[in-house]
Amino acid sequence: MKIGIPRALGYYNYYPFWFGFFGSLGIEVVLSDRTTKKLVSEGSALVVSETCLPVKIYMGHVLNLLEKKGVDIIYSPSIQSIDHKIYNCSKLRGLPDLVRNVVKKDFLLIEPTLDKSEKNQGLYQYLYESVAPLGITDKKAIKQASKVGWAYQNNYIGMAKDGMHPMEAMETALKGKVVIKSRKSDYPISIAVLAHGYNLYDDHISMKVFKKLENLGVKAYTSENLSAEQMQEGLNVLNTNLYWANELEISGAAGSFMTNKKIDGVLTITAFGCGPDSLMIERITRYAKRLQKPLLNLTVDEHTGEAGFITRIEAFTDMLFRRKRASIIQNLNKQVEIDLEREEISHSRETIVKV
Amino acid sequence: MTPFMPILDNINKSDKEKIVAFPQMGNIRIPVAAALKAMGANLYLSPENNKEALSLGTRHSSETVCLPYKLNLGNYIQALEGGANVLLMFSAPGTCRLGNYAKMSEAKLRELGYDFEFIVFDMYKGKFLEIVKKFSQATGNKSISNAYKGIKIGLAKFDALDEIERKLFWLRPREIQSGMAEKIYLSSRYSIDKAETVEDVKKSVLEAMNKYNSVEIDKNKGILKVYFTGEFFVLLDPFTNMNLEKELGLLGVEVERTIMLSDWTNQTLIPKWHRKIETHKERAIRKANKYLSRPVGGECIESVGDTVFAAECNIDGVVHVAPFNCIPEIVSQCILPNVSKQENIPVISLLMDEQTGKAGMVTRLEAFVDLIKRQRKVRKTGTLQRKTTNFSLKSNPRILSGSV
Repeated sequence: MKIGIPRALGYYNYYPFWFGFFGSLGIEVVLSDRTTKKLVSEGSALVVSETCLPVKIYMGHVLNLLEKKGVDIIYSPSIQSIDHKIYNCSKLRGLPDLVRNVVKKDFLLIEPTLDKSEKNQGLYQYLYESVAPLGITDKKAIKQASKVGWAYQNNYIGMAKDGMHPMEAMETALKGKVVIKSRKSDYPISIAVLAHGYNLYDDHISMKVFKKLENLGVKAYTSENLSAEQMQEGLNVLNTNLYWANELEISGAAGSFMTNKKIDGVLTITAFGCGPDSLMIERITRYAKRLQKPLLNLTVDEHTGEAGFITRIEAFTDMLFRRKRASIIQNLNKQVEIDLEREEISHSRETIVKV
Repeated sequence: MTPFMPILDNINKSDKEKIVAFPQMGNIRIPVAAALKAMGANLYLSPENNKEALSLGTRHSSETVCLPYKLNLGNYIQALEGGANVLLMFSAPGTCRLGNYAKMSEAKLRELGYDFEFIVFDMYKGKFLEIVKKFSQATGNKSISNAYKGIKIGLAKFDALDEIERKLFWLRPREIQSGMAEKIYLSSRYSIDKAETVEDVKKSVLEAMNKYNSVEIDKNKGILKVYFTGEFFVLLDPFTNMNLEKELGLLGVEVERTIMLSDWTNQTLIPKWHRKIETHKERAIRKANKYLSRPVGGECIESVGDTVFAAECNIDGVVHVAPFNCIPEIVSQCILPNVSKQENIPVISLLMDEQTGKAGMVTRLEAFVDLIKRQRKVRKTGTLQRKTTNFSLKSNPRILSGSV
């Protein structure tokens, strides 16, 4: 049995879990190809133009699975809420419904719902719905499989938190390994890059921003490097509470990074037309001004050119370098002044002693 | 300034009269104002939504925020400039960006340097009691009988306004001398606004009905009927939807708006166990199930459910309106073309934002009305039957959609 998982949206956060879960139940998982320009344009032809880029890409991946990979079962979960009354964005809540209405092909759609606000839509019900259409209804086996899934997922989260690039961490976790590397930290500048996982780790959307930053001599931090508690504290910094299901990885991380002295600047990448982000970014911008952290907000859509993207990042890092240099020089000057004062004092002491 | 001034200032502040203002949305100003007045509040009634409020709101918010937020912010700024110092807003979980409005606008207004008290009706904490409590907080009202009276007259006005509006929708396409019904509607809306007791409200509704009955109508005219559905704020606010209901009426189309004011209040205020009939939302969830099997926030499921219901009721078409960039309505916009094909009902999606021009909208509506007129003729001759689900995907693209 083969099921297709689109390499978009939830894939970037939950794939190790799905891999372990389905693998242990004897179901083969097929992934779609990486995002290409053609895939994006095919996906955006299906939905109205206002829809945000990640959802358009998702539709492209579904098409790719059905046409190129020879799969006729698509796994498309709907994550309604992750906690009591903490809901997701409408487009993610209605994702399977969108797929069902928009993709005009003959296939079986597996559409489990995870809703923590309802009484009996918890994780196990969600997992049951995930495999029941395939004929697996043994609840004990499902529970066992979910444990395998969590093992993969925890390895992935652990490595990502340690500072490994999340996509590298995912590959390592899927092999069943845990690798903790020792890293040199000789970067002059550190930037916090804030975006939803599905925007940031899709090389087509974020245009390999990590590689670009690396070439510019910048260390990039992401929300994956933070613990949930740190992000919760970050929300308090921004004087807000959790409203969206994926607010922690933007607002929470922003609050945490903006009060961190190690971070020189904050870079946010949002998809055009993202509803939750438009509100979060407004709040982050306000607090960045107050906390005096440089902030660059980049909005991407399917027409964004790479040249404009790179120019802005370069200008931003140039600015950060200059700022850091200025602050270092200022500190040095202060130090020199202090030293001079000390010298004077000791000099006068000496004269006193001489007298 | 003497050192005593701050102390005096503080005393003044605590004694300062509370002047309450609330955001505007079509006719909602009349019942809410009545309820607040009955509880003894000092009211600043900000003007109905207008261009100035919109441009004020647009200036002080980020571009991708939805239109209702911009208008709300504009209302608040106008009210604060006009002397109000208590602002009302509600926040509810699991809807859409609406739940963030209160938080956002408060932060923005404080940043702009206004001094005010912000009272949020927090729907996380239960509905009816919370509303009574917060109303009392806003008005300084302590007696329960006054609160009861206020809510009663508010609800009576909600119902009265709906009644005269429904009749207006029915009369508009049928009247011989166009504009008569509109005049009656406006005058009786004014008298409902002025009414102080529930009896007065009922009396003015009766008067309005009598006047309506004297309007001459064309009985032989073939009247088309459309459902007017979509996002809540745009549906109920004539400034935002550019009074499309009126335009449709003048084109000879009877409009049935799927969300009326009282439907909404009844749905939110009356507890579940007290309800006897299926609410609009429950019906929508039932009807939409084939296309949208889970609620996704906002009025998405209502839009889809109403469209299916319209097809079942043999309605001629559906006009779907939404503010630009509304998250739930993007989902329904993606789903509606499929519903339109499967159920064979014409649907037009219209998006409103601060740049939208009226002429473009009216042109599109005219084209749509022509289309449904022709379709009705075809249906009469029997060549096209409803419920033909085996449509090929490429033929019959019976949806005109897009943004301006």
